[in-house]
Amino acid sequence: MSSIISPITQSKLFNNHLKRVINDDTFAARTIVVCSVLKDVFAYSVRYKTTMENKKIPEKRRPFVAAMDLASGFVTSIAQIAVGFSIASPKVQNKLWNKIFGNAEFKNIGVAKKSFATILALIGSGLITERILVPLMATPLAAFVEKKFFKHDPSPLKKYSNYPFEHNSVFRKYLNAKPAAN
Amino acid sequence: MIKPITTATPIKLNQRMANSLEKFSEQGGEKIANYINAAGKFAIAPLMILYNPFTTEPKENKKWAAVKQPVEAVVTIAAQILSLNLLYKGIDKLAEKGKLNFKLIQDAEKTGKIPEAILKANGGDKVKALKNLQKTCLDIFKDRTGTILTIALYVPILAISNRVFPVIADLLTKDNDDE
Repeated sequence: MSSIISPITQSKLFNNHLKRVINDDTFAARTIVVCSVLKDVFAYSVRYKTTMENKKIPEKRRPFVAAMDLASGFVTSIAQIAVGFSIASPKVQNKLWNKIFGNAEFKNIGVAKKSFATILALIGSGLITERILVPLMATPLAAFVEKKFFKHDPSPLKKYSNYPFEHNSVFRKYLNAKPAAN
Repeated sequence: MIKPITTATPIKLNQRMANSLEKFSEQGGEKIANYINAAGKFAIAPLMILYNPFTTEPKENKKWAAVKQPVEAVVTIAAQILSLNLLYKGIDKLAEKGKLNFKLIQDAEKTGKIPEAILKANGGDKVKALKNLQKTCLDIFKDRTGTILTIALYVPILAISNRVFPVIADLLTKDNDDE
């Protein structure tokens, strides 16, 4: 076990990372945001794969549906990083910290400040952006894409995959429809 | 002699928040990220599905999709916390056995150069700061390995929640289906 761990704990890269996380609260918070987004990226990749293997979706349309999955994942990730990174910036942090905890006492103010930056950045990216803004934008966006790209398609089968279009009625109609006979 | 009655000053709201923040900090970044993600899935995602003004989905479909979110959140957070606790215990054991030697700590022990933020937080006390550095390095290592574990567990966790959620969704929407 130590033969696997030792190269990591002794590596220059990881130790520089440790140093930076310790000294820089903004970097620490941004790292956690990136880790959180990485999990989502993995989830979107899994979704892409399952969409490509979903036999309910006609073969000729599968790549597009999967591409929509991937594109929505990409947009969500970028939005999360943008919001998370902005909230973690020292300017925003100092303003909020002074406003909320201006005269509060801490056992370890360094740890508290780091956690505060992390929690706020995660709330901004993982709660507000991922859970509220993206689902709200996704439905009209899906309708726009449908109108723009599938205007002349006579087939009742539509092209959307689940997330973040899973609230879209078009998507459900599509999934419930029988696969087109070849 | 009768002692004078002393009234304790009520703790201010921001001090209470400060205390909660310090307690919450002890969980570590990876667990905090998982808690926030689960909270969003549990509380916000179902509301967004039910009350999204742009959707024209039938109510029953919305209910089904809404139920999926908290079920997935509970299954996910339970599995994540359980597995992270096991991982962190394992890492602590390795550290106790002296098998986790961070170069940063070794260098600090040799040269006495301790990262500024840690030294400052410990009021310049090098012995205390070194102890704190060891704990901080271990916590960061736990966070990073925790993220890898969480990603690795994503597929089995989703598989479990996909099996559990239709049963619960059926139970919750049964009455309306019978109408």
